[in-house]
Amino acid sequence: MNAATQSVIETLGLVKDFGRTRALDGLDLSVAAGEIHGFLGPNGAGKSTTLRVLLGLIRPTSGTARVFGLDPWADPVATHRDIAYVPGDVSLWPNLSGGEAIDLLTGLRGGADGTLRRELIEEFELDPRKKARTYSKGNRQKVALIAAFARPARLYLLDEPSAGLDPLMDAVFRRQIDRVSRDGATVLLSSHILSEVEQLCDRITIIRSGTAVETGTLGELRHLKRTHFRVTGLAEPARLAALPGTHGISIDGTAAEFDADAADLGAVLAGIAEPGISGLTVAPPSLESLFLRHYSDRNGSGVK
Amino acid sequence: MSGVVRLALFQARRDRVTLPVWILGITVLGFATSSAVATQFGDEAAQAAILTLAASNPAFLFLRGLPDGTGVGAVVFFQGYAFTAVLAALMSTFLVVRHTRTDEELGRAELLGSVPLPRAASVAAALLLGAAANLLLGGFVAAGFVAAGLPVPGAVWAGAAVGAVGVSFVGLAAVVAQVLPSGRSANGAAAALVGAAYLIRGIGDALGTPAADLLHVSSAWPSLLSPIGWGQRSRPFTSPDLFPLLVLSTAALVLGGAALLIRRRRDVGASLLPQGDGRERAGAGGTSFVGLAWRLQRSTLAGWCVGAAALGAVAGVLGPLVTETVSSVAPLKELISRLVPGGQAGLIDVFITALLGVAGVFAAAAGIQAVLRMRAEEAEGRSELLLAAPVSRARWLGANLFIAAASAALVCATAGAAAALGLGVSGTPTGAGGSLVPAALAHVPAALVFLAAAGLAFAAAPRLSIPLGWGMLAAGLVLGEFGELFGLPVWLQDLSPFRHSSAMPVEPFDPVGAWGLAVVAAALAGLAAYSIRRRDLTA
Repeated sequence: MNAATQSVIETLGLVKDFGRTRALDGLDLSVAAGEIHGFLGPNGAGKSTTLRVLLGLIRPTSGTARVFGLDPWADPVATHRDIAYVPGDVSLWPNLSGGEAIDLLTGLRGGADGTLRRELIEEFELDPRKKARTYSKGNRQKVALIAAFARPARLYLLDEPSAGLDPLMDAVFRRQIDRVSRDGATVLLSSHILSEVEQLCDRITIIRSGTAVETGTLGELRHLKRTHFRVTGLAEPARLAALPGTHGISIDGTAAEFDADAADLGAVLAGIAEPGISGLTVAPPSLESLFLRHYSDRNGSGVK
Repeated sequence: MSGVVRLALFQARRDRVTLPVWILGITVLGFATSSAVATQFGDEAAQAAILTLAASNPAFLFLRGLPDGTGVGAVVFFQGYAFTAVLAALMSTFLVVRHTRTDEELGRAELLGSVPLPRAASVAAALLLGAAANLLLGGFVAAGFVAAGLPVPGAVWAGAAVGAVGVSFVGLAAVVAQVLPSGRSANGAAAALVGAAYLIRGIGDALGTPAADLLHVSSAWPSLLSPIGWGQRSRPFTSPDLFPLLVLSTAALVLGGAALLIRRRRDVGASLLPQGDGRERAGAGGTSFVGLAWRLQRSTLAGWCVGAAALGAVAGVLGPLVTETVSSVAPLKELISRLVPGGQAGLIDVFITALLGVAGVFAAAAGIQAVLRMRAEEAEGRSELLLAAPVSRARWLGANLFIAAASAALVCATAGAAAALGLGVSGTPTGAGGSLVPAALAHVPAALVFLAAAGLAFAAAPRLSIPLGWGMLAAGLVLGEFGELFGLPVWLQDLSPFRHSSAMPVEPFDPVGAWGLAVVAAALAGLAAYSIRRRDLTA
């Protein structure tokens, strides 16, 4: 096996129970070296639990997890040597400044790259002298991101890293992902925002109720990328069902709602057009609606 | 107003486990003390003997309070009041800070600030809840005394005295919460004020004047500076006096009013002592577990050291003074020469020994607090960030245990050094001066057992570690301090690590006890390091 196709992360049938709650239910996840892997799922699907298992912070009830070929529960120290981690909910020491927290976290991993540290603080516009008590959620997030990126790693585990960042800072974050990816690092990025994952990731795994329900490249998951249409004032709504690439049409009087494949958007738009139209709403594919439409029949509950 | 009441009820719901534990715990302690006194000092001769002994021993007066005549009730009040009052005060300060500054620091106050209620509503609600909790506490304590067979009027007065001390600390804590920026610092400062109140009362009582019959002692003026001293002046079982309780209630009203006024005038999250900026880079050692543990612990440790220094200074400066006062009373002088070998110099040693023993308790508490800091780190999600680094959990635990042990040693050494310094300043030739630091350090092994046990609790049962850690200290104190009074079997008393510390300088150093404690501590720490590897990180 050569380095390019070797798996950095490999889990098989991962199960994790917290009391009577099953957080992970036979999760299979495979992340190849050098790829940016999107880990997509609604709140409570088990994304953070998976990342904690991969770090050996919690022990799986059954199943196996391997990171760099190592068992993170049995040998956390060796596993962590090349990992940078940003938790979903960053909590810092209230009486330490942001700069001190960055130095502590990078120091435990062997020390920050001084230039990188300076550049990152500048780019993320962080005031490192402020005590963490006074930081907003976004600023705490920046501290964790700077600490993660200020020292090169082979694997970046990022749990909803851009939550709390404004669009400018989000752009800075994306540049950093590009940079470490160019350097050959592997990135596992969890998110519940489909568009974010689309823009950054090579491959995607979708998780729901602790199980991986889809995995593949963006192209392979094309069928998930459907745009939602709502059209009102149609003379004969039923005719829309004949348009290419439309799915799940529902009709209510003169109104119609349906999803359309990205490849057929041009044809759909042309097909909708008629003089009497009084309203048109087009919504980008949202993960929540995808889950509602594609997976609500599996497992019954679990979808809000 | 109804909004404030609803808020107070909501706070009470959050405290539905905590407050009953405090109230019932204090009640049980009061009940146990009264039953024990009734059995052990049932007749008047036995009561007179213990009171006379106390009146002749300033260490007794310092730790317990003032003898106030015979009668089971009076002896119970003398034996148990000061500790009960300290517990009521701590219950009150933690309650108020929890619902004011801590809520504000964690952003919950902001959410509440958006509802149509006055700005100071949560402070008012916390004051209300604090008053209600102390009313309930007073009632329960009184009921416990009655159940133990004490006269009803005296029991009610005694309950009122304990409740009044609690209420005064409700007001005090509300002000502290306006001054300091974080829940942790406000809790620390308020608890330090409780300690100061106990200490100042102790000084006043130790300097007190014994009556001719040696069954009563009246305190010196410093006791008037302490709410705990005021509560004691109500003299529930001998000649009940309402005035001290009125003083305490008025103080509570004034302090509570001041807190409300400050809160109405300040921004949410702001404090009278503002939060300054920190350093841009971590200092030397700021990138290691030991450095972090030290950084997190140092301000709390400074507080414990100030307490220990005050204790030591009291022992050194006041020891000679109070023993001189006592010895100048002719009948006492005779008693002392019979009881204490070495006469007045021996009495000073007894006083110093007792206070160094208290410093040993401080050391154990400082160590436990340092260890339990890890639980806060874990519960608040910060250990997740730390342990994602290539460092083992055992190292994290080890670094914290190390800092905890060093804290305990530092607290003891501070008390011993302050006592030696105090003796030097007061110019007393006892010969004990130079050896007081080692005498204080003799209490470190017991502290090590407590902090290692807290470490094991954290490693094995993280969610229970905080009640377990402090509960073990409370159990050790009760077994060590009250075990004899309660007539508990010796083997049970001997479970308390405090019982195996050498009470220097009165007793010689006991290497077997010290090494025994050290070995137990090491075994507990090893078990903790083994267990922590075997569990999930738990929020």
